[in-house]
Amino acid sequence: MTVTHNRRDWAPLWLLSPAGLVLAVVTLAPIGFLIFTSFTDYNQRTLFTGVYSGVGFAQYSELLGSGAFWISLLRTVIFTVAMVAGSVLIGMGVSHLLTRLGRAWRHTVTVVLIVAWAMPNVASSLVWNWMFQPGYGVINWLLGQLRIFGDTTGLNWSQDPALAYVSIWLLIVWQAVPFIALTLNAAETQVPPEYQEAARLDGAGELAVYRMITLQHLRPTLLLITILSVIWDYNVFNQIWLVSRGGPGDATSTLGVFTYKTAFVGFRIGQGAAISVVTTLLLLGLTAFYIRNLLKSGEDL
Amino acid sequence: MVWIFPVYWMVNTAFKSRPEVMTPTPHFAPAHPTLNNFVNAVTQEQFLTNLRNSVIVVAATVVASIVLGIFAAAALSRFRFPGRRTIMVVILAVQMLPGTALLIPMFVMFNSLNLLGTYLALVLAYVATVLPFSIWVMRGFFLAIPVEIEEAAQIDGASTWRVLVSVLFPLVAPGVISTSIFAFIAAWNDYLFAYTFMQDESRYTLPVWLASFTNPVTGTDFGGQMAASVLFSVPVVVFFLIVQRNLVAGMSAGAVKG
Repeated sequence: MTVTHNRRDWAPLWLLSPAGLVLAVVTLAPIGFLIFTSFTDYNQRTLFTGVYSGVGFAQYSELLGSGAFWISLLRTVIFTVAMVAGSVLIGMGVSHLLTRLGRAWRHTVTVVLIVAWAMPNVASSLVWNWMFQPGYGVINWLLGQLRIFGDTTGLNWSQDPALAYVSIWLLIVWQAVPFIALTLNAAETQVPPEYQEAARLDGAGELAVYRMITLQHLRPTLLLITILSVIWDYNVFNQIWLVSRGGPGDATSTLGVFTYKTAFVGFRIGQGAAISVVTTLLLLGLTAFYIRNLLKSGEDL
Repeated sequence: MVWIFPVYWMVNTAFKSRPEVMTPTPHFAPAHPTLNNFVNAVTQEQFLTNLRNSVIVVAATVVASIVLGIFAAAALSRFRFPGRRTIMVVILAVQMLPGTALLIPMFVMFNSLNLLGTYLALVLAYVATVLPFSIWVMRGFFLAIPVEIEEAAQIDGASTWRVLVSVLFPLVAPGVISTSIFAFIAAWNDYLFAYTFMQDESRYTLPVWLASFTNPVTGTDFGGQMAASVLFSVPVVVFFLIVQRNLVAGMSAGAVKG
């Protein structure tokens, strides 16, 4: 860290105040207002009349007493774990594979990963819908060619709870792996090769070398990536909304989708605000942990 | 192979004619490549309006975030003052909020201010997500400039303002370009806010247009939708390839979500 101005100086104040004011208006004020709204009965009628009244903790007690909320929370947790585990493990595999490839192949794979990563998630969700389309979708056709599942042409992925999960899981993992693989690969190439050679000379197999040497070096990066993935996957909305709308029924309504449906389909905005506050609070611990880790890993504040 | 397949399938479908798209046995390359899907997508009357909406909102967001962000980033990297650490933590924490935590209160506020459906509403929402990471990323670029350069200018008698504008800003210019690209991608890709705030078709941005790509008579036109997806994705992919070296740094601050 290099700081030249230790003397009392008003410069930082006027440099910061424009951005500070704007951020206060566009982030802090809305968050304050969100908390306020969660203590009111704000609903569809209020949008037109502007009339609402304070209801204390009623939104929260209703929320905590509703089975739909707890199921949605459980769903979110399970789904987040499945997506994070899938993307981190596959990402580790791809990262390791990259270290084994020749120059040309490594370059090709890197470009492919970046292209997949770069796809806007609205576009990739729509591509998913098309690939998994019953009747004409290429996935059903490919599955049919395997001749294991019988005739799969009419398989309706978004109308079956389990299949909807599988396709959304594939979509999220597909898009998360490039970031994870490339970040890990950057860290993996920093591992001093002498360590790995020494371990090999001591008779360690490839797997043992990876587990004992490489993985030890990757640990800090891996930790940051995992926390970040948990935060993102926990908050995921677009892909679920565009692929299944949280359906069939409420089968894929994670907290984000559940909040959205409550606030903008049922227009129970007060209730939606309460869910959003609870969702944020649940995430806060993890966010704090992430920021602490980022600071420890050398980011100087 | 698995990673390129969806991209390949999107491009492949985009070049097929409708009867070729809707075949029980998929064709792995278009037998009669056609540009019709692209022409149809672009000549839809909504396309140009929605493209214009996207461009206006994204440009305003990028300019506002960079101009506001560069001064804040300078302050946070070149000065030590009380409260600095708190500001940094707040900037990072805002990145981790679920979308609805800003969406719901903004919707309510903009509704009472009669701002729903306006560019301003969308720009304010995007600045809320883009400005914090712009500050964070640009601060990194400021930190990379050696202090000696700045000290030399000060010894020559330059004021703080002059040091900033004539010495530091030109040096962070490449960083500003990368940050603008991150900002562009984040705003260009947003679906949630645009979908909720812009109810009227003429006010859609491109992602909302893309998702609503259905023909009431013939059902979803997948060829057209894939062609539109290609057009929508190309700028982002090109930008990604340009900034790929800085991608990882930007990601850790939540610049581009996975």
